[in-house]
Amino acid sequence: MTTDHPIEALDAGLLDHAHDHAPQVSRELRPTTSYTLRVNGFERPVTDAWIGESLLYVLRERLGLAGAKDGCEQGECGACSVQVDGQLVAGCLVPAALAQDSEINTVEGLSAGGGASDVQQALAESGAVQCGYCVPGLAMAVHDLLQRNHRPTEVEARQALCGNLCRCTGYRGALAAVQTVADARAAVAGAAEAAAEEAAAAPADRAAAPAAAAPADPGPQTADLPVYTEDTWIEHVPQPRTEEAGTTAGTGAGVGTGYGTQDGHGTPDRHSAPDGHGAPDGRGGYDGQGGYDSGVYDTTVLAPVRDVPPQQADGSTGFYPAQGYPEQQPYPGATPAHGTYLPGTGYPDQGGYPQQPGYDTASAYDGPVYETPATPAHGTPYVPAPPHGVPAEGTAQAGVPYGATPAHGIRLPEDDHAS
Amino acid sequence: MLPASLDEAVEALAAHPAAVPVAGATDLMEAVNAGRLRPASLVGLGRITELRGWRYEDGGTAVLGAGLTHARMDRPDFAALIPALADAARTAGPPQVRNVGTLGGNIATAAPAGDTLPVLAALEASVTLARAGATREVPVSHLLTGLDPLRPGELLTWVRVPLLHAPQVFLKATGRSGPARATASVALVLDPARRAVRCAVGAVAPVPLRPLEAEAWVAGCIDWDGSREIDPAATAAFGEYVAAACVPDGYGAEGAWEAVTEGPSAAAVRLRRTVAVLARRALGRALK
Ligand SMILES: Cc1cc2nc3c(=O)[nH]c(=O)nc-3n(C[C@H](O)[C@H](O)[C@H](O)COP(=O)(O)OP(=O)(O)OC[C@H]3O[C@@H](n4cnc5c(N)ncnc54)[C@H](O)[C@@H]3O)c2cc1C
Ligand code: FES
Ligand code: FES
Repeated sequence: MTTDHPIEALDAGLLDHAHDHAPQVSRELRPTTSYTLRVNGFERPVTDAWIGESLLYVLRERLGLAGAKDGCEQGECGACSVQVDGQLVAGCLVPAALAQDSEINTVEGLSAGGGASDVQQALAESGAVQCGYCVPGLAMAVHDLLQRNHRPTEVEARQALCGNLCRCTGYRGALAAVQTVADARAAVAGAAEAAAEEAAAAPADRAAAPAAAAPADPGPQTADLPVYTEDTWIEHVPQPRTEEAGTTAGTGAGVGTGYGTQDGHGTPDRHSAPDGHGAPDGRGGYDGQGGYDSGVYDTTVLAPVRDVPPQQADGSTGFYPAQGYPEQQPYPGATPAHGTYLPGTGYPDQGGYPQQPGYDTASAYDGPVYETPATPAHGTPYVPAPPHGVPAEGTAQAGVPYGATPAHGIRLPEDDHAS
Repeated sequence: MLPASLDEAVEALAAHPAAVPVAGATDLMEAVNAGRLRPASLVGLGRITELRGWRYEDGGTAVLGAGLTHARMDRPDFAALIPALADAARTAGPPQVRNVGTLGGNIATAAPAGDTLPVLAALEASVTLARAGATREVPVSHLLTGLDPLRPGELLTWVRVPLLHAPQVFLKATGRSGPARATASVALVLDPARRAVRCAVGAVAPVPLRPLEAEAWVAGCIDWDGSREIDPAATAAFGEYVAAACVPDGYGAEGAWEAVTEGPSAAAVRLRRTVAVLARRALGRALK
């Protein structure tokens, strides 16, 4: 497919001739730009990309990060969910050129440790994966939810995941996974707190320790989580209004810091031993709500990954060995999935990665080569844009005067159906 | 282009009249991805922090930045100010969209199902439009109906909303239980100072509609000085009145409305029932 691409079949003279016009064409009709994206902590340059390309497209087709999936390109399905500056967004609706200088986190970053993150593991174990297409987006949504809210109720979890469509599983597994991870993280945090407590209170009377710990308890949730005062979609589920008090009195811990529960300010585990001294009991039970049985959750295996670990200097392991995809092979000569090193991170600068794997060499993708100037990025027919973004179909943008209905809904006598 | 201030943004638009302003891009990229729009260049408004908050003005007015996101408007501090707008923002799409979709983008798009629009119509809000060296103030209704549209090179900067300190309700009917665009929506606000009820119906027409007669009638049924109670029968009648005023007999029928000769179409009957229920509930909740 790539070898007999029409561009390569043209003779040099034709190419030269085409070049006379191509720059004008592409500049006027298909304006391009170059920028650098910061993806999962790595700077990833993008050159000569059409300004209308979505972040999803650039991640997948230019940067080789195919974790985020393209389900609809209309913001409806959530398969493309990524975080931009710590906020969950639909990657398909972000103009990539405007995401420069932003911190972008993708599902590849979740598994940066080499194995699946606790969220991914829990999704797999709770039966939230069938065809798997929705799972990267779902993993990002669950990850995002648990960053903001360490103890989501079922209603909060449903609201957080309502933008992620799954056509296979029916969401029960995903909701169970939320609780599994929340419980497990709370158990880890509870254990860490207990250990710190024990260290601090070592000379003191052991019996006094739990009492001393009590005032430090910040309540069940942390500061900046969204509060839903009214559930407009799922009206029959009662709202946990009692928990709202805890949110306004929040401690400020953990918000936006990832696994903030481990800093000792986080949520104590409701399920761990009542004296707060026990090791994580591993039960993680999601008891009494909707009959989920999330089973045993082994916290030693699933301790949350805090950081992107260093990559090998030779770059050979730059590919995330995502669990369950052992057959995955690096593209020859491609950029590692997590990007090139930032200058000054202490890792040797690789320098020599070709930009945009697969585009100059067309080796990595079988699909149509992007370079062709006349082909719009998404294969849509080209329609010239009138100034100021008036939709090309000719409808006025700011509301067409509605023939019969004037401002404020006052009806003309001839349309008056009210009487 | 990513201007960091309003001045920079309007200058950029003046210098590049063909550039498209982009706020949350949720509507814009939908059109781009579908091949309906090919921007000549983009002016990102996301870095203009001054537009992402709100301030107060004398005379009980809140001045909302066009860059306020739906997610921000959903938060309790904002919901205490303008409850109906918070309710509308809460239902405007999935979290991924509400995290970035903005008030200004919702108004500029002026989609029939835009959820903030009936609220702004009921509140009789006005907007500030800025271009290099000049600003003008336009009632939201004039903007939406095309009486006074956004001009090339102009940015929607502020939305001026009166603070009424009284119950406000936004209700929306959708085709499914998850986030979805409205098939009909009703915003209703009480204005005790003027002893008025203001109501707007969204999504049933290209612009939000105000049933002015029904508003005036129902305001006369309310005991404003006492407990603000109303006869339930009057609430139900208000619902019917609003529905009849906003949904014409020929709604959804083939061809022009004039083609319909025998009573309301089936679609009109269905939609009126929906609007009537929304309006009745909205009034009931506002006076509860
Ligand atoms: C899946 C999905 C579901 C949705 N559901 C709903 C829903 O239920 N209810 C609803 O109301 N909306 C819904 N929307 C639409 C959209 O999210 C909102 O209209 C949103 O408010 C648009 O804001 P934005 O900042 O993303 O606008 P953008 O896409 O950035 O801009 C839209 C248009 O407005 C112009 N514009 C933006 N800001 C300004 C400004 N300050 N001055 C001048 N022009 C400006 C842009 O040039 C562009 O033409 C949905 C969208 C998606 C993708
Ligand atoms: S591909 Fe972005 S939401 Fe469906
Ligand atoms: S597992 Fe198939 S779409 Fe969710």
